Amino acid sequence: MNILVLLRMMPDPAGEFEVLADGSGLDREWLDFQLNDFDDQALEEAILIKEASGATVTAVAIGEGVNRVLQMATARGADTVLAIETPDEGLLSSRWLAATIARVAAERGTDLILSGVQAAEDWLGQFAPYAGAALGWPHVSGTSRLTFQGDALDVVQERGGGVVARYRVPLPAVIGVQTATKAPRYVSGSKLREAAKVAIGRVQPEPALPHPGLVLKGLALPAEGQGAESLGNVAEQVADRITQILAERGLSAGART
Amino acid sequence: MKILVCTESRSGELDSVSFEMLGAARAIAAPGDEIVALVVGSSQQAATTLGAADRAIVAIDDALAIPTAETAARIVHDVVGAESPDLVLVPYSATGLDVAPDVAGRTGLPLVAYVMALSRNGGAIEAVSQIYGGKVLATAEISGPAILMINPGVFPEAAPSPLDAGAIASIDPAPALAAARVMLLGEDLPDLADIDLAAADRIVCVGRGIGDAASIDLARELADLLGAEIAGSRPVVDNGWLPKLRQVGKSGRKVKPKLYLALGVSGAPEHLEGMSRSDLIIAVNTDANAPIFNVAHYGATCDLFDLVEALTDRLRGADA
Repeated sequence: MNILVLLRMMPDPAGEFEVLADGSGLDREWLDFQLNDFDDQALEEAILIKEASGATVTAVAIGEGVNRVLQMATARGADTVLAIETPDEGLLSSRWLAATIARVAAERGTDLILSGVQAAEDWLGQFAPYAGAALGWPHVSGTSRLTFQGDALDVVQERGGGVVARYRVPLPAVIGVQTATKAPRYVSGSKLREAAKVAIGRVQPEPALPHPGLVLKGLALPAEGQGAESLGNVAEQVADRITQILAERGLSAGART
Repeated sequence: MKILVCTESRSGELDSVSFEMLGAARAIAAPGDEIVALVVGSSQQAATTLGAADRAIVAIDDALAIPTAETAARIVHDVVGAESPDLVLVPYSATGLDVAPDVAGRTGLPLVAYVMALSRNGGAIEAVSQIYGGKVLATAEISGPAILMINPGVFPEAAPSPLDAGAIASIDPAPALAAARVMLLGEDLPDLADIDLAAADRIVCVGRGIGDAASIDLARELADLLGAEIAGSRPVVDNGWLPKLRQVGKSGRKVKPKLYLALGVSGAPEHLEGMSRSDLIIAVNTDANAPIFNVAHYGATCDLFDLVEALTDRLRGADA
């Protein structure tokens, strides 16, 4: 079985964002790029299935810092690593990416595509269902456990409220991973150094897709602290105010209602 | 303009997010526009409360008590083909996430996701999306047919009201069911014997800003002194610092306590969906732009560890 896993580099979600003066995009100069959290989970799921089934894993990465992340993927167990040439600095369209990955998957005889359930930039919709639609393959998103069953996968999907659904999905298929069956593994420095020698292949991107009738007018930061009354930034004073607010509302310690 | 609203139902009952989608449709509809609700489920009865729509299309079968996204997408696709709506509204839910891009991909319609605000600008629709976990807003102008995937928890629910039987038309879901490849094996409900966050009236929730597992003990002590349950956002639970049943948000629990103290939670849309309707929200985050402050009643930008220590001291004093 051949697994393809998508790795997208995204700005650190804990970072501070600045928008260009004309609103056309993010000021990327000070942004720290890292692997999309959910794609990290998808990579782990791919390696776990490889270990259980003997599958091969191809990791395909896009964005700033792909070499670093593909070396990490190799150290964790990916067999082949490919980088997609990043077309520009705009928001990454998962719809366009799905067209590119669908072509790569067809060329490589892929049986299973894994990606993170979502990425911070996919305002045009999420990758896994787009890839499923592009290939005509079944797809399920938001998974927390995959079990390989030969010609199918048993999939557990998080539905919110602690409810989980269990599905059987025939291969070939696309899965949008929320959480891997096990937490992503640690890679030692020596394995990473070894992985630095691996050759990284290149993938030609598909041309940009038209979105008839849809125009991005611009990006903006939300209004600061909209709605919230400020308690300030001095911890001792904030603690006093919170104590007071709780007392006023009958929510002080011990006063359970 | 014709607006197709995709509802969600389970075991014959409409999910409340269905009424939020109708609320969103009503918010942008002008006189003369038509709102059409689509029900994919196991009971036609559900459609009789969709009076906020002008009419409803129902695809009913016992096998659709818990519809899979694959079957729902196939039905939505066929209805879009037959009705040619100008806008299709789909909730950004566990099902909607798989339905909307699938239908967009197969029909070629543009799709805008993470939508949290809609307005009408002449003939065009303006949609505001939350990206980067709600830290940045993207505004799109839509001047032709499109699909919008709407964040739950941001549009007020339209009130349930009667819809005439004459305004409800049935379509046959059999072809979509016959074509299904994804098979639902079953659904498991959570064991809430140990912890039921939805029943807690005070919650202290820690986010990524808590830093590590050891620091959660500090927040837990504060929670104990407040008589609160400790909870976490997704990154905290994904890191294994708290169990899944203590997760608040889209893939965790939806809560509405009397007190929600958010420590180092940035407030991604998926988190806000689970807690924005709490009675009192106090948020502490050093990033003044953190979206959690948009739903908080009170906000502080001090260091969360300094605050936890100071607040713990005061509560211990009150306890003594």
